[in-house]
Amino acid sequence: MTSYPILTILIFLPLAGCLCLAPVWSRRAAVRPIALGFAVAELALAGWLLVTAPGMPTAPGAPAGYFLWEDAAWIERFGIRYLLGMDGISLLMGALTAFITVVAMAVSWRAVTERTALHYFLILLMESGIMGVFLALDLVLFYLFWEVMLIPMFFLIGIWGHGRRIYSAVKFFLYTLAGSLLMLLAIIGVYLIHGDATGTYTFALPLLAKAPIAHAAAPWLFGAFLLAFAIKFPLFPVHTWLPDAHTDAPTAGSVILAALLLKTGAYGLVRFGYPLFPEAARGFTPLLSVLAVVGILYASWIAYAQEDMKRMVAYSSVGHMGFVALGIASWSPVALSGSILQMVNHGVTTGALFALVGMLDERTDTRELAAYGGVWGKAPKLAFFFLLFAMASAGLPGLNNFTGEFLILAGVFRTTPAAAAIAFIGIVLPLIYTVRLVQEVLFQTERQPLQLPDVTLREGALLAVLALIGVSIGVHPKPLLDILKVPVALLTGTAP
Amino acid sequence: METIAIPAINFAPIMPEVILSIFAMVLLLVNVFVPSEHKAYLGYLSLVGLIVAGFTLIGGWGVPLSAFNDSVVRDNFSIFFKGIFLLTVGMSILISDQYFKREECNLGELYPLLLFATVGMMLMASGTDLMTIFLGLEVLSVSLYILAGFNRANVKSNEAGLKYFLLGAFSTGFLLYGMALTYGATGTTRVVKIAEYVSQNGVVAQNPMFVIGMLLMAVGFSFKIAAAPFHMWTPDVYEGAPTPMTAFMSAGPKAAGFAAFMRVAIIAFPSLKADWSDLLWILAVLTMTIGNLIALNQDNIKRMLAYSSIAHAGYALVGFTAGNAEGTAGILFYMLSYAFMNIGAFAIIVLVGKKGEANNNVMDYAGFGTKHPVLALAMAVFLFSLAGMPPTAGFIGKFYLFSGAIKAGYVWLAIIGVLNSAASVYYYLRVMVYMYMKDPVEEFDWMKLTPAVAICIIIAVVGVLLPGVVPAFLLNLAQQAVLL
Amino acid sequence: MLGAYLPILVLVAIAVIFGLCSLVFSSLIGQKKPSVVKLAPYECGCEPVGSARERFSVKFYIIAMLFILFDIEAVFLYPWSVLFKRLGMFGVMEMGVFIVILFVGYIYVWKKGALEWE
Repeated sequence: MTSYPILTILIFLPLAGCLCLAPVWSRRAAVRPIALGFAVAELALAGWLLVTAPGMPTAPGAPAGYFLWEDAAWIERFGIRYLLGMDGISLLMGALTAFITVVAMAVSWRAVTERTALHYFLILLMESGIMGVFLALDLVLFYLFWEVMLIPMFFLIGIWGHGRRIYSAVKFFLYTLAGSLLMLLAIIGVYLIHGDATGTYTFALPLLAKAPIAHAAAPWLFGAFLLAFAIKFPLFPVHTWLPDAHTDAPTAGSVILAALLLKTGAYGLVRFGYPLFPEAARGFTPLLSVLAVVGILYASWIAYAQEDMKRMVAYSSVGHMGFVALGIASWSPVALSGSILQMVNHGVTTGALFALVGMLDERTDTRELAAYGGVWGKAPKLAFFFLLFAMASAGLPGLNNFTGEFLILAGVFRTTPAAAAIAFIGIVLPLIYTVRLVQEVLFQTERQPLQLPDVTLREGALLAVLALIGVSIGVHPKPLLDILKVPVALLTGTAP
Repeated sequence: METIAIPAINFAPIMPEVILSIFAMVLLLVNVFVPSEHKAYLGYLSLVGLIVAGFTLIGGWGVPLSAFNDSVVRDNFSIFFKGIFLLTVGMSILISDQYFKREECNLGELYPLLLFATVGMMLMASGTDLMTIFLGLEVLSVSLYILAGFNRANVKSNEAGLKYFLLGAFSTGFLLYGMALTYGATGTTRVVKIAEYVSQNGVVAQNPMFVIGMLLMAVGFSFKIAAAPFHMWTPDVYEGAPTPMTAFMSAGPKAAGFAAFMRVAIIAFPSLKADWSDLLWILAVLTMTIGNLIALNQDNIKRMLAYSSIAHAGYALVGFTAGNAEGTAGILFYMLSYAFMNIGAFAIIVLVGKKGEANNNVMDYAGFGTKHPVLALAMAVFLFSLAGMPPTAGFIGKFYLFSGAIKAGYVWLAIIGVLNSAASVYYYLRVMVYMYMKDPVEEFDWMKLTPAVAICIIIAVVGVLLPGVVPAFLLNLAQQAVLL
Repeated sequence: MLGAYLPILVLVAIAVIFGLCSLVFSSLIGQKKPSVVKLAPYECGCEPVGSARERFSVKFYIIAMLFILFDIEAVFLYPWSVLFKRLGMFGVMEMGVFIVILFVGYIYVWKKGALEWE
């Protein structure tokens, strides 16, 4: 429909923003508008795609379902290509990325006073990386973006974090790197095995997926992919980096971490893991389901015991992502669309919750549950949003998370009823800790006098937009599900 | 009386060596006639020599030529390595002037010695006779012993020079003994002839003299590339030697060692690949693991990079073990990238350091990121490249090496390699933690970025990032170079 | 094969026998008039008392080193001069290069003051 390299622009526009920050590096007043300008431009582009793209035909040269496609030689010796493509799934993820980046910038608008330029530089850099992960279809290119997005997060946590920020940053980095390096080996393995079998040595996903690996090594290769993705997810038992990273990260970092970085793991599994190794993946389904269910229950249980709001929300993330994993494991169209929808929902809801915790923290300098109480009376607007998103997180019908979880369970129930049955408990458990959270923070009588001004215009507008999105997905998820229909059908092999 | 028939002599294959030798001798003479405050000009003159030598290299690409009765050869393999050497020496010279001025031992002998060392390395890369290789090795080593102890006023530098000399002489003995035994077993020192002998005499493993000769040569070369368990000299020498010389030693001679080792192992003993591989497998695992583990708790950044350089030799050995086109070309690519990233990092160390080799601890980098954002960014780029993160040359290099290993069936070796590389990230991150996440203790106001050092850093950054993003050109060169 | 080494063995045997004979016979036949001075261990006329681990001035080492370096010159020049005619012009040029290289070293050493004793 258009000859503009839109996908390249999507990836490199934030990077261009990074470069534009250099001349005004030490002028805080100039840095913030420029950075935000680029982020908003990116959001506008993504938003425009969200509106127009679903109606587009398949791009020339692209497999079915991809309406934007860019393919160029990159490192020909290895058969590595600069291959980008956008289907419904990447579209949703890309739009989420652009949106959450703006949110992250907005929440740190006042909070970050030191080394502001570096902060926005890193956020933009990360946006580039994450966008690349969601759009790359060449395994090496994907791996490149996958690693690139690690670096800014490491610095965000390490520089602007709280508490044991350095420990958390290093732990986060090493954990994810260890997993992804094994994935790199698996990528090379796939390349060689596929090349030996078919004669074409390539890293391009469409070609690799056409002739799935039927080698004895396939389970090992899938295992390596799964490990890398499971760490990002994070699935039980490799989730231990997450509470530390989330808790010690600055608000913007937490928002991006929860809303975007965790999604890359799930996305990777959907986009690469299953299509590359359909057979091996089926063999892993029981394991994945069990880990997902255990993660859901375990995370809820641990979340209830937390005294730190941020840690509680962090553990709730583990639980929610467990649902996503469960949906992917069942690999049925309904559950898979539910999972992807749930990824968006989790991004919005948890992102908003982290933003709210950040706002409270900014005002009172504490995240201890025990320090709060009576927020409802002091800052009613803030409290309202807090309640709304907490309830959304707990899966209240009519709000966004419910739609995702419902679809996942509906889908899983057909394939593995036992897992679904146990996971139903997982729907109830979040309610317990959410109620505790809400009760202790909002409705408990004030335990100590808190300086709690209500939301500012900036914060209010931000939360209102998030709430609007949350409610509208909750009430009317059809537009998003329509976008997902084609790619999900293609992935699960149920296309007409 | 009949005259002795003189074989045809063709200087073309050793043209760069000849030019550099002439420049070195001219520098030696100029040096004694130039007052000490103008020693910097010697540096520029030696750079000119390197560039001229570089020009004579380019023409030989793709036109193999051997001379002096087949004892030296000009092929793509040697040209690629010679390019690495010229680059390494050039960058080290760029950072030398500032360092040695600060240490107040800016002696003119530095530059001729560096050029002689380069000549030695080049002979190692292009020698196809055990004797030529040995000759090159000695020219290199003797220059290096002096360079390591060049800072005469500094005790540690003296220690480095002496230690390097003793252990270097020891390892040379091993190597020479191995060469002698190989000669005894095969009756020739020509690498090609040895290969012929090996292929004609089938199971050579039954000839103990030959096997021992081979093993001793492997030990000798392992010393030179600092492969564990023959790495003991590295940390002390790297820590004590003047920083620019450490930069040089970690990149240049290591590459030269690999060049000679590869020439001997891959050409002379191709049919013994299986036996070599078992040996190299163990060497690679030990080298990577020991290097990385000990680097984890080093506080002195030079020492840390010394251990890391052991680990990097280990990664290169992974490609060596694989022994296929990917693995060997991977070594070439990796050695080039390593020169860029490591010398770049050492350039920053030169800048941050104070007189008397002070301020070389990781803790001294606290707050460097806030005080000098651009330099710190450059350092971060080098460190990420050393850690093998994309999109840097370090990543492509490791990718190349490990894919070679997997292709050759050494999956476990590749897995050990990546686990090592994950562990190594910790100590590189540690520097970054100090640079960016700790509050500055010092103002870093003594730092002075001279144009020469700036050029070196720019070259290094470009050399790290460009091949990381568009590696096709260099990959092709490396691939052509190992066709031999 | 070892037969080729027989003359060497004979030579070694003769050398050993000769050495032993001269020692044995001189001690048997010779006159003995010992004195204090004669019984002292002979060491270049120096008093052989005190530690042998004395420190020599570094100048000695430099002289020794320079001697070895430039001595090599003669080692190479000698065989060359023997075969001068058969090597022809090529030999002259090669030796010229060799001498020039040594000469560079010589100038360097001279200018550095390594040839001055004080």
